[in-house]
Amino acid sequence: MEKNVFKMPDKQANETERDYHIRTSRNRLVDTNSWREVHFKKSRNRINKCMSLKEAVQEFVIDGDIISDTGFSWVRGCTQAFFEMIRQEKRELTLMGAPIGVGGIPIGGGIIGYMHNSYTGAEMRGIDKMFHRSIKEKKVEPLSEWSHGAQALGFKAAQMGVPYLASKVMLGSDMVKHNPYVKISSHAFKDEPEKDMVCLIPALYPDIVFIHVQKADKYGNAMIWGPVVNDIALSVASRKVVITCEELVSEDEIRNNTSGNSIPFMYVDAVVEMPFGNVPGSVPGYYYWHRQWWEQGVRIAFQSDENFNKFLDYWVFSCRDHYDFVDKLGGGIREIVKRNKLTKVAEGLNDIGVIDYDYKEVNSEQYPYWRYPWEESYEQEINRQTETLLRLKNLEEFEQSQNNKGGII
Amino acid sequence: MQTNPLEILAYCLSRTINDNEIVYVGTGLPLVGALLAKATHAPNSTLVYESGAQDPLFEGKMPWSVACPWTYYKAPIILDMPNSFGQCAAGYVDLGFLGGAQIDKYGNVNTTLIGTYEEPKVRLTGSGGGNDLASLSDRSVLVGLQTKEKFPEKVDFITSPGFLNGGDEREKLDLFGQGPWRVITQLGVYGFDDETKRMKAISLHPGITKDIVDMCTGFEIIISDDITETEMPDETTINILRNKVDPFGVFTKMPL
Repeated sequence: MEKNVFKMPDKQANETERDYHIRTSRNRLVDTNSWREVHFKKSRNRINKCMSLKEAVQEFVIDGDIISDTGFSWVRGCTQAFFEMIRQEKRELTLMGAPIGVGGIPIGGGIIGYMHNSYTGAEMRGIDKMFHRSIKEKKVEPLSEWSHGAQALGFKAAQMGVPYLASKVMLGSDMVKHNPYVKISSHAFKDEPEKDMVCLIPALYPDIVFIHVQKADKYGNAMIWGPVVNDIALSVASRKVVITCEELVSEDEIRNNTSGNSIPFMYVDAVVEMPFGNVPGSVPGYYYWHRQWWEQGVRIAFQSDENFNKFLDYWVFSCRDHYDFVDKLGGGIREIVKRNKLTKVAEGLNDIGVIDYDYKEVNSEQYPYWRYPWEESYEQEINRQTETLLRLKNLEEFEQSQNNKGGII
Repeated sequence: MQTNPLEILAYCLSRTINDNEIVYVGTGLPLVGALLAKATHAPNSTLVYESGAQDPLFEGKMPWSVACPWTYYKAPIILDMPNSFGQCAAGYVDLGFLGGAQIDKYGNVNTTLIGTYEEPKVRLTGSGGGNDLASLSDRSVLVGLQTKEKFPEKVDFITSPGFLNGGDEREKLDLFGQGPWRVITQLGVYGFDDETKRMKAISLHPGITKDIVDMCTGFEIIISDDITETEMPDETTINILRNKVDPFGVFTKMPL
């Protein structure tokens, strides 16, 4: 590693653009000039930025990019974007975020080479076994350690356009020994060296974020409600921003809005309409997460590469998009209605009565494949899966023959 | 009344909260403790979450995660993340809870890794908001399962600073807040010595002796000869815990 991460290395004569991009990702994280430059190149005009997730990932995610997770864990996260990156075999990305909620998926999917970690875990189900194995087996290189507050302040500094912020977090911890970006310093305004120490946290600039919001217009004006976590800050801190939205609404609806947090259109590179676009996670006001699915992932699939490959085959490679995913999850409309009802009650927007949120743990009998209660046998499920694969293959060929880039349904 | 160790933990955690305090909670047992406090002796305490949610209402459902809908159920406002920790620094949080894979004799907490950074045996989650709470909130309560491995002489990695190497080391850094205040385990309730900042017992749970504590700890916890027994929850409290706070037994039913 370059000694000073704040110095952007020069490109070597025999180095490809891709290699240079990967090699300098650790420097780009704090490189203000290239961050501003990218922003200056964005269109200043209100133009229609709609495209499919497939197109957005194709166009905007480059091997070696720094990607930050968004939302909070499975709440308004970007799992489907990770799925698409796995399908498109993106490589050597740097994963960061406060928190990294479902880190095991992009890591296990082979798209992550490096990490700036603040938290990668399964909350009440403990550690993320995929993350643990990948770090231990050195498949992923941890570049720096952060607290949530520190990384959040880094994004905040970028949002406010200041080079760094001084805070009391991370002082005295071992994280500062494993973080080349932060610096412990004495208080600049007090004449007492070695007293009243502060931790200097630089503005952090990821290359790309996918922010899932409730509503957006075609220009990229976006609205979030529920916990925004770091997403408003990230929309400025990041070089490229893809908005995925539950509902694509008219510009008027955004302009007339009197509540909610918003991201202005000029930050946004692409808008993807994705109703039910954060399955299996949740979106405030829209749907509740699929806890059993998530648990199957963190408890069983993340345990071994063998398990995870089956998991990927079933949930990622044999799904074209999140619509296929929802079909598999619980039979399409059944799933949608159920999840919507669960979240309305959970957020107090509906009082239809007691709903069983089923706290039972997922056991290994449900693995390796998702099985609906009404399905009779394992063989039947395998057949169904094979059929799906065939159907998808035919469809893909059809789409290619029609020169159809694939788009919004 | 028969109580299980998780219920006792939840009860001890609840006793660390005074009425009229603002408590920063995650999920799991600390949340149960905070809700129990609110339902019993501290009705005017306010819960805030890392999701930024302030003072959500509670209707018997346990959040799975700190951004779960129940953490912001009818919350009047939800802050973004830097402001949520800013709230701790600004003096609007009295108490924060921390869990950890390792806790040492000076109350330092490790949630990063077991082993060394270069060759970790187990890679854990990382800090999350733990370090921020330990650095910024007025006082913190540590909770953990007490074993020799989980309570070592020195943690493998200081994720959240307690008193570092004891004495005035924490003071020198001028971190906000007093640092770790209580440690709650299945064996007892501990605090820290005023001078040396070493962990010292405040009370031991019924049936727990100094020998048992020694067997389950990688260092010596200071235990005075006239150590008191931890106060146990009465029937009313247990009924509130079982019927109102955690009716599904998500965090307080013993795993089978």
